[in-house]
Amino acid sequence: MGALEIVLRAAAALAMLLVLPLLVGQTEHKVMAHMQGRLGPMYAGGYHGWAQLVADGVKFVQKEDIIPAAADRRVFKLAPALAMIPYLLALAAIPLHPGYAAIDAPASLVFVLAATSVGVLGTLMAGWASANKYALLGAMRSAAQLLSYELPMVLAVASVALAAGTLSLGEIVEAWSPWWLLWQLPGAVVFLTAAVAELQRPPFDMPVADSEIVFGPYTEYTGLRFALFLLSEYAGIVMFSLLFAVLYLGGWRGPLADWLGWAWTLGKGFLVALLLIWLRVSWPRLREDQLQRLAWLWLVPIALVQLAITAVAVVS
Amino acid sequence: MIPGLVKGLATTARTLTRRTHVQEYPDHRPELPPRSRGVIALLEENCTSCMLCARECPDWCIYIDAHKETIPATTPGGRERQRNVLDRFAIDFSLCMYCGICIEVCPFDALFWSPQFEYAETDIRDLLHEKQRLGGWMESVPPPPAPDPGAPPVAEVMAQRAPVRGAPRVGLAAGGRAGSERTAPERQGVRRPPSGSAAPPAPAASPKPPAQATEGEE
Amino acid sequence: MTSLDIAFLATGAVTIAAALLAVTTRQLLHAALWLVLSLGGLAGCYLVLGAELVALVQVLVYVGAVVVLVIFALMLTRAPIGPSAAHTTTRLHRVLAAGLGAGVSALLLAVLLPLAGGNPRERTPVDSTAIAGELFGTWVWPFEALSLLLLVALIGAFAVARLAGTSDPSAPQAPVAGGAP
Repeated sequence: MGALEIVLRAAAALAMLLVLPLLVGQTEHKVMAHMQGRLGPMYAGGYHGWAQLVADGVKFVQKEDIIPAAADRRVFKLAPALAMIPYLLALAAIPLHPGYAAIDAPASLVFVLAATSVGVLGTLMAGWASANKYALLGAMRSAAQLLSYELPMVLAVASVALAAGTLSLGEIVEAWSPWWLLWQLPGAVVFLTAAVAELQRPPFDMPVADSEIVFGPYTEYTGLRFALFLLSEYAGIVMFSLLFAVLYLGGWRGPLADWLGWAWTLGKGFLVALLLIWLRVSWPRLREDQLQRLAWLWLVPIALVQLAITAVAVVS
Repeated sequence: MIPGLVKGLATTARTLTRRTHVQEYPDHRPELPPRSRGVIALLEENCTSCMLCARECPDWCIYIDAHKETIPATTPGGRERQRNVLDRFAIDFSLCMYCGICIEVCPFDALFWSPQFEYAETDIRDLLHEKQRLGGWMESVPPPPAPDPGAPPVAEVMAQRAPVRGAPRVGLAAGGRAGSERTAPERQGVRRPPSGSAAPPAPAASPKPPAQATEGEE
Repeated sequence: MTSLDIAFLATGAVTIAAALLAVTTRQLLHAALWLVLSLGGLAGCYLVLGAELVALVQVLVYVGAVVVLVIFALMLTRAPIGPSAAHTTTRLHRVLAAGLGAGVSALLLAVLLPLAGGNPRERTPVDSTAIAGELFGTWVWPFEALSLLLLVALIGAFAVARLAGTSDPSAPQAPVAGGAP
């Protein structure tokens, strides 16, 4: 692997990180608006407000960067980067086309899971370092939620790895067959639920519930640092959508996969992202105890049963 | 639980497929209902600087300055009269809460609601509208809407048609009595020009309420 | 000295420095964060040595779960911003602790260095299948014993939480209607 190739791969991953979240964000603006009988942004950029997020970015850059006087300055400043970078790494490891991923790792599935689990630290650091009670409450809620939902997610993913007999995302896609849609359905539901919870999006947005604790861990953030947190949330949506497409929907599998494989992966991922937006618009927020009950009484058992079914099917 | 969740999804999906009812404001002018409260207009000629509106204003956003002018007697040996001249009439719309009390209390119909609402400013001090600007809103004041079918007759109109107190009664419709209710005499002195030198003194001087007087005559 | 050597030295230095900072800092939560860096550096060491899966699991379990749990516990109890005096120790304690740490390190080095000394091993990337084979073949009994230990700890924690809850009427019980789909 030459230096040029490394640079190219890094640039591709960065471009993906900067473009795809904006696409998802704009889709969310418009789809959510129309689902609520509104129009959403209509003016920025001229045609149906396509440049709204660019305008938002420009606004964020111009805002004052405020660090609270009582805050732990270094941790406060570091937190947005720590929230952002894991998703960048995870996104880079997801293969879009046969043999094409920015990071080629033999155990890319574990790599993606490990990277996303580090992202939590950014939220925790932000919440603690802000010296704000809302931020602290939000960070604690988010820690409790992420700890609970990490387990069913890993179990569901383990079932897929077991079925494919590999830890490499590319090989999982090669081993995929349409039969999986039915066979792995419980695991897929568990994975999607846990993904929404990890992203802290409605109906699992207890940690940032704006009507109770302002904006949770991000309450004290302004300007570019706040934008980084938002970007990492949307990068997380892109990442989990693509991961779901790769694990459960067969990634690039489809007609003309040799040429259009990347389009299949991105298209399937986009559909999953639409589903996430749809859930956000339709469902109310879960309370903290409901959230924990859902994780421990439903998702973990379902994931375990799925794992057992997969194991039986693989062994026999 | 599950049916509820599915129903929620179905509702949002159905809304997604329908046209929205949004009217984009700068391109699409809103159709405002009658009696919209946009801005308060001033008809300067009607104002007598009586200060009622300024005193009734709950947040004291009306400023009035006036001075007295002496009008020389019109007939030789007559009495000189004094008149209020309005120097300044201003409403601070950064304070105004659009309650409309000033318009209600104005005894001389000098204040009106105008539906015009596009007077946002970038400097809050520009929201202090002076006499000139308040007068300018008058042209956007719509004519009063017609009363609803079956509504009781408008008091002012009936007062206009009511007989002048003390004057010989001319044949009037039965509605005349309805018109001479409580509000009628208050308006009489203001609105109607004196119907002749034979007219009695101001209503306040009359010992009995005029409405009763009319009835007593019947 | 190859680039792998340099990488190993760098990750090792980061690990040791972060570990030292974790035990010497006066700020509680900073200690946890330095621990993150130390554990991450250790994962880097594994990666340089060719044990990719071990490195990733190290990150997934230690950085992603254990340290998050530690930070969560710190925030639940008391972790003030800035140095906290409540947890300082006497000079004697510190000297004793440093001596104990140095002694353990010296012991480990004395045992481990002769094992590796003289003939450097070839770096061979370990693939996950081999690790799985070892784990569920040669080492299956220690593995199962460990999982049993963890299970006992889990049940013990449950018992502690539940028994403490029986004397307290306000303890969480009574599932709330509509708590799950």
